[in-house]
Amino acid sequence: MSLGTRNALLALAITVAIIGTIVAAIHQLDRQRIAELDAIQSQLATDTLSVETQFALLENAPCADLTVGTDLTSEVSSLGDRLGVAESRLGSDNPEVLRLKKQYTLLQIRDYILAQRIAKTCDIEPVTALYFYSNEAGTCESCDRASYALSFLRQTYPQLRVYSFDYNLDLGALKTLIAVEKVEPKFPAFVIEGKHSYGFTDVESFQKLFPKELFATSTATSTKKK
Amino acid sequence: MSLEILAYPFLFLGLYFEVFMLLTFLSGPAKERRKRIAGGSTPKVAIIVPCWNEQDTIDGTVRSLLAMDYPKDRLQIILVNDGSTDNTKEVMDSYIGNPQITVVHKENGGKHTAINKGIEIAKDAEFVGCLDADSFVAPDALREMIPCFDRPEVAAATPAMSVFQPKNLLEQMQNAEYIIGIAARHALSAVNGIYVTPGPFSFYRRSVIEELGGFRHAHQAEDMEMALRIQRAGYEIENAPRSRVYTKVPRQVGKLIKQRTRWTTGFLRNVMTDYRDLVGNPKYGILGLMVLPLGFVAIVGGAFLFIVAMVSLILNILKTHALTEGIPLSYTLLPRFSADWFYVPVTFLLVTSLVVGILSVSLVLIGRHVSNTPAEIVLGIIGYSFIYAFIAPFWLMRSMYDVLTGKRRAWR
Repeated sequence: MSLGTRNALLALAITVAIIGTIVAAIHQLDRQRIAELDAIQSQLATDTLSVETQFALLENAPCADLTVGTDLTSEVSSLGDRLGVAESRLGSDNPEVLRLKKQYTLLQIRDYILAQRIAKTCDIEPVTALYFYSNEAGTCESCDRASYALSFLRQTYPQLRVYSFDYNLDLGALKTLIAVEKVEPKFPAFVIEGKHSYGFTDVESFQKLFPKELFATSTATSTKKK
Repeated sequence: MSLEILAYPFLFLGLYFEVFMLLTFLSGPAKERRKRIAGGSTPKVAIIVPCWNEQDTIDGTVRSLLAMDYPKDRLQIILVNDGSTDNTKEVMDSYIGNPQITVVHKENGGKHTAINKGIEIAKDAEFVGCLDADSFVAPDALREMIPCFDRPEVAAATPAMSVFQPKNLLEQMQNAEYIIGIAARHALSAVNGIYVTPGPFSFYRRSVIEELGGFRHAHQAEDMEMALRIQRAGYEIENAPRSRVYTKVPRQVGKLIKQRTRWTTGFLRNVMTDYRDLVGNPKYGILGLMVLPLGFVAIVGGAFLFIVAMVSLILNILKTHALTEGIPLSYTLLPRFSADWFYVPVTFLLVTSLVVGILSVSLVLIGRHVSNTPAEIVLGIIGYSFIYAFIAPFWLMRSMYDVLTGKRRAWR
């Protein structure tokens, strides 16, 4: 075998090996991402339980420590960002992503319920937005724009709590939430301060759906007027 | 994923070719070539300097030839003025009387006619070399070159070419590219895969030139055509990695694009027409099965990927514009960097490109090392890695346009 032929074959084998190693390394990195998400989910599940327990312990003085649950909310939000990265890397139909998404949705619902309880019991009024989107092709042309606008508002006004849900996710608790909140399958769908709205045109119109107090204050929560 | 998947085949082929080059560089035959010692053998040699309007550089070129370490009675320098319209004639005439130098003036007929005129004069030379009149040789360049012809089947040999005193970024980038060329030619010579004998200081066995006929116009790529003709005739083309020659290169992007369009159209026209039989032909080994097909793929692929990248960029800009409409720019343009490994965008495209880039840098370092080229190449490597890819597609696309439409352009 000539030197050229030998090297051509050897180079092919080495190139395939390099490409294989890169693919394997990236796959491994994605596995680690999933594993980290898993770990965060587990931790958050514990944290949620802990907050609920704290809330129960403080039953006699439930509003003594209003920071209870605040960290949890920010962690849930951070988990959402990470899940978004994993979804874009692995695809929204990846079984692992779907599994984690369901857990994340559950955590969001629990956080939402907890926030509602704290608001009701402690006489505070966080600004809350429920956002329902659809990943099914052709069902929501403006969902990306709505997501981006919500990210902007959430980052600009930290007192705003946004809960995003994939409307079509096959999860009992989510279906119940949709039924309870009476959200129709028109996307994007929003429940802001208990009021429903559908569709997204522009940021300016979208901002009008929120209470004016949100844009006037930078505190984490506002106290109900008595 | 999206459009990036279109880049995968080209990345694979690029990586494959680089691995092949490195393997061949490390092979025994390449090592033997590096061990070649600049010999004591001093056969009769003629060096032809074809000139067309080279008044500013011809003097330096001739001085570098005269300064070479080679017996004066064994080296003939033939200056051929191909109908220059500037002061080249006067500069050349100042060498009349030097026993080593022959000065010839002729009507303008193209570079190939000037070289052929020189070959005609160099009747008793065993080897003839060409040196473009904007290039300068190292004193030991010829002694390094001669041992390449030890075997009779070797018909030509190429030097180690780099850029003469690179100053601006464009010259530095070209220098990095030329030094990769040193490594590439050195490795390819071990498998007889060289497809061009560049104008600056390539040498030919005179008897083979006589056998094959003189240089041709060959779509303004006479050096490439001669190399392909030599290969087709079954001869070998060698490389002298320490035979250093420094050449002037375009200092402006426009001139670079013009020069490279000429080279690229020359390649395409020769390979697609007169030498089509070499492409994919196992008889010509690595040249036919790898070098020429991949050269073609690199041209088409480079232009194609650039177009795809631009379309992708425009679509992304439009998408981002639609997405961020109404959102303050202070938010949209805010850099979002996270040190968290989770967010590092490690993709197949990125990692593979990085590997290809590292191998390219290795080839630059190898080229510099084997040729002992004195060069500061950090800036050149950076420019070559990040800027060249935005310039090269323009000459690739222009070349394909010219070839497809039959458009012919002037040399300069």
